[in-house]
Amino acid sequence: MTVDLKEKPALGRVIVITSGKGGVGKTTSAAAISAGLAKQGHRTVVIDFDVGLRNLDMTMGCERRVVFDFINVIQGDARLKQALIRDKRLENLSILPTSQTRDKDALTKEGVEKVLDELKQEFDYIICDSPAGIEHGAQMAMYFADEAVVVTNPEVSSVRDSDRVLGLLSSQTKRAESEGADAVKAQVLLTRHDPARVESGEMMNVEDVLEILAVPLLGVIPESQAILRASNIGTPVVLDQPSAASRAYEDAVRRLTGEEVEMRIAGERRPGLFHRLFGRAS
Amino acid sequence: MRQTKSGPALSRDPPEQEQWQTVSTRYEETRHGAMPGEIIPFQIRGRFLMALSLRVDVEADDAAFYERLDAQRETSPQFFDEAPMVIDLGNVPGMAEPERLRAMVAKLRERNLRVFGVQNPGVLSEEALQDMGLIPVLAGKDAPLPDARSSKRRKRAALRGVENKLVRAPVRSGQMVVCESGDLTVIGSVASGSEVVAGGNIHIYGRLRGRAMAGVHGDESARIFCQSLDAELLAIAGLYKTSETLEDAVRDRATHVYLDNERLCMEVIG
Repeated sequence: MTVDLKEKPALGRVIVITSGKGGVGKTTSAAAISAGLAKQGHRTVVIDFDVGLRNLDMTMGCERRVVFDFINVIQGDARLKQALIRDKRLENLSILPTSQTRDKDALTKEGVEKVLDELKQEFDYIICDSPAGIEHGAQMAMYFADEAVVVTNPEVSSVRDSDRVLGLLSSQTKRAESEGADAVKAQVLLTRHDPARVESGEMMNVEDVLEILAVPLLGVIPESQAILRASNIGTPVVLDQPSAASRAYEDAVRRLTGEEVEMRIAGERRPGLFHRLFGRAS
Repeated sequence: MRQTKSGPALSRDPPEQEQWQTVSTRYEETRHGAMPGEIIPFQIRGRFLMALSLRVDVEADDAAFYERLDAQRETSPQFFDEAPMVIDLGNVPGMAEPERLRAMVAKLRERNLRVFGVQNPGVLSEEALQDMGLIPVLAGKDAPLPDARSSKRRKRAALRGVENKLVRAPVRSGQMVVCESGDLTVIGSVASGSEVVAGGNIHIYGRLRGRAMAGVHGDESARIFCQSLDAELLAIAGLYKTSETLEDAVRDRATHVYLDNERLCMEVIG
């Protein structure tokens, strides 16, 4: 870390990106959110908790630079500084990749806590990219979280799994287990939203999803070719060329840091729909 | 203390399913009767077991019998799959024959119904049942009269009074909220894939999408209230309806669910 970055004490906020269901866009969102936070000047690190199926490093475009990983650090084979990869595009963004050859049992509560405590000394935001499911790996990713971003697609099975995860966040986390601590602050990030399919009734609308999940909305990310493109070239979508998706992620990031940002849905054909919900003018 | 429900259940098919519950004795005395400094290597706790009771109403358990049973299973598979089950032979004393019963148990177990006991075993001896891995379940009319000990226990429970429970957060998928003795009130919605269970009434100030079971200890006067009904399952004192059998008139409406003459009734309120 450079000297000027140490001037202000690190915020040390742990945010888990989780969902329950697979393939909803957790890793893409973790990459976009961490890059977005770093772009705003926050010292940010993103950790891959998907042991054995690592792909955050590919989404971030640093797979060739992995020498040591999260599991090496937990097991004491490497120091944290050796495993952290500094992003080439943003100097205040680091990546802690995971192991492709181990399995999720290598994650221990004590080990994860030690690594997170060390990271809290130097980073404002620690983004934990959770594996799919609700088993050990996902539980380790959420256990120490201060906040949670629950990534949900607007379809019934994804919403139901997200609901299950919200239940775990309110019962199986350190904050839930410690007396007097505030609950994990959970927000839902709706991804792969396609207004045309919502219109035709093939997809749930935003109100229906929020009615079921009963947590605040962090943002609505449109289904977009830009996301696929960015993933394929190993760039977080917010660092790629401007698109509706990157704007939506940037808005979500600003909301995550506490800014009030008006909710807009890219390509929404019925702008009145959202105004009715939030009572705001565009 | 065992309680069962008898009489006509919801369906009029030959095999009638009804739910019954067993509340085993709470051995609180065991825990407190230990000598100072002595470590008790175990703890005995009362467990609450839900099981299905299959009352056989016709003597012939032929192919048609199992066809009807399979059809019933298909209407609510999640309810039947791997469900503990007892067979009630009260109406068919002729079935109380080791060979016939053995054949029936095998056929039920094939269907993933976990038969563990027999109600009203008639002339079947306990040894014969044990041979088949079954236990006699004393219930309904066959239940022994309450003895002095259990009435004392009941008095103590009455003294303790009912304990109501209030939940101020949405009940999420996969969560189960149980209120053993009193009323359960939820301020928030009950998600699909979750369960709310109460010995008394259930009040939901929100949408009910999951399962709600009121009066689980057999209280037929228990009721369920919700602001919007879209339940996977509703049960009062063991009599249940699944989402498929809900009337359209009450769906998505503020609803009051109650038992009337062993029939689950629903009325729209407000």
